[in-house]
Amino acid sequence: MNSKHSMSANQGPVAATGPQVGSNTSNQAHARVRLDEPRVNPISFVLLSPAALLLGTLFLGPVLYAIYLGFTNLQLIGIHAINYRFTGLSNVAFLLNDAIFYKSLWLTVIFVVGSGAIATTLLGLILALALQNCVAPIRWIASATAILAWTLPPTTIAFLWMATSTQSGLIALLAGNQRLDLLYQHAMLVVSTANAWSLAGLAMTMFSAALRNIPGDLREAAQLEGASSVQSLRRITLPMLKPTIVTCALLMMLMTFGNFTLIYLMTGGGPGNDTNILPVYTYQQGFKFHNLGYAALLGNVMVLLSALLGGLFVWASKSQRQGEPQ
Amino acid sequence: MQTTSVERTSSPPPGQKANKPNKITADWIISNSAALVLAAFFALPMLWMVLASVDHGATNQLKAPDLTAEHYWVAVQADNLAALGNSLLISTVATVVGTAAAFIAAYVFSKHNIPFKNPLLLTVLFLSGVPISILIVPVYKMFATLGWLSIIPTGILLGVTAIPFQIYQLKNFIDAVPPELEEAAALEQANTFQILFRVILPLTKPGLASSAIFGFVNAWGNFLMPVVLINSLADQPAPVHLFGFMGSNSINYGVIAAYSIVYSFPLIVLFLGMSRQFKAGFSLGGAVK
Repeated sequence: MNSKHSMSANQGPVAATGPQVGSNTSNQAHARVRLDEPRVNPISFVLLSPAALLLGTLFLGPVLYAIYLGFTNLQLIGIHAINYRFTGLSNVAFLLNDAIFYKSLWLTVIFVVGSGAIATTLLGLILALALQNCVAPIRWIASATAILAWTLPPTTIAFLWMATSTQSGLIALLAGNQRLDLLYQHAMLVVSTANAWSLAGLAMTMFSAALRNIPGDLREAAQLEGASSVQSLRRITLPMLKPTIVTCALLMMLMTFGNFTLIYLMTGGGPGNDTNILPVYTYQQGFKFHNLGYAALLGNVMVLLSALLGGLFVWASKSQRQGEPQ
Repeated sequence: MQTTSVERTSSPPPGQKANKPNKITADWIISNSAALVLAAFFALPMLWMVLASVDHGATNQLKAPDLTAEHYWVAVQADNLAALGNSLLISTVATVVGTAAAFIAAYVFSKHNIPFKNPLLLTVLFLSGVPISILIVPVYKMFATLGWLSIIPTGILLGVTAIPFQIYQLKNFIDAVPPELEEAAALEQANTFQILFRVILPLTKPGLASSAIFGFVNAWGNFLMPVVLINSLADQPAPVHLFGFMGSNSINYGVIAAYSIVYSFPLIVLFLGMSRQFKAGFSLGGAVK
């Protein structure tokens, strides 16, 4: 400020007239508004209130309410639909002896890790790598259909894959066995494939963007040193993609975990509970067997699991940011 | 000769795409055949659906169609259209409620100083990762007690489930608005609402559009919430209606395929619109002098 005044003084009276008056008044206005200084404006809370109210009553509130409901004998219909009461740990005791729950937990892990973390990420990665240097028509069809598959609503995807994987469908046709009913024989494999099919487009766009950020001279230098393309993939491309691979795998796990519709519509959890992942089992317990209290407890287990996944996600993105300064 | 061709094909100069006519090498064959297999993997199920929707005797087999438009005619009958209308109502309510609340909240998180900002943002992040199927039991109990098992509350709920992600999405866009613009507006005695609606809103239109699209798609595709939370069969949206077709004893593949396409079409259109928005990006550089 001082230097500005002294400068204009040096330049003489002519330069110190018009513009300087203007800058003085604006400085005073600045002193009154002070946007650069941290302060709490009550209007912030007014603006936050709609989101806070909605999230509080329809999201966070129900999550907390479910914790309580998980320890009651609430039923969908019948006498305990209205006159339900706190039953302490009896739901937990039932949970710990529920063989279907353990199976469901295991299937959830298989589905989330196998289909989400591994299959989808791998499919997206291979797709992005293969599309890098292939001819234009194939690249166009592959990327457009992968993204289209990601755009389709889950109900449509469930219908598509049901038709594809049952008797005389596309898979049976390709296998040359019209009676092959893959959905019935290997239900988990089919729903996992359908899930990967529907998410790979997103993974592909993530990897394509990351591949574009790898400097071309790195690979060029490797080629000058006589590295084969397998070597440059293993020593340059994959290490450079590592942060994206971790982020993508975790994001796909989160998205797969929430995928109730696909499995419920394709198999309903069957055959014989073979695809009964936790979201589906929760729905069954609540709205088919009418045990809302027990379903709420199963929902609480899911909240814990998603908190674990979310924690992993935050931790991974933090450690990536710290390890990045090079 | 062999080595030079390898160098030329697999190391294009940075910033230039490698889609010039290539010499055939092992790499080229591998990546092209892998891409071809994957393209077939993604395209064939969709191709079947498109063909089945116009095939008079449609089955789940992939075959040349006996062309007809009768399935589409069935798909646009009154009750099927009504289900699509219900979907539209639910998704519109969800989009408006979610995007509006998320936008002003995102503005506060981005530009204002509030106590406990980081814990609050972490809570929002946590909520955006929670699978919403955990909400069905407590929300069902709440709605049943209040007598809200109908279409509008379900729409509002679906809007709320999108808010956490929308807050993050919009905050990123609002973060990119230079603080100088806001300061300039404040110097002109603009109040917070004027800054929000006259300065921030016009500059974050692409962000608002993609956030609204997210909210719409999120509600449009949801199956579980309507099926549990809407009592009346006539008020059920299209995915539940579609599931009704699939569950019937004799599956009519042609009609389901046609209805699936009609039901999925708005999402595809919205998605194409969104990718154009992304490409346009936003050029705030010119706004600051």
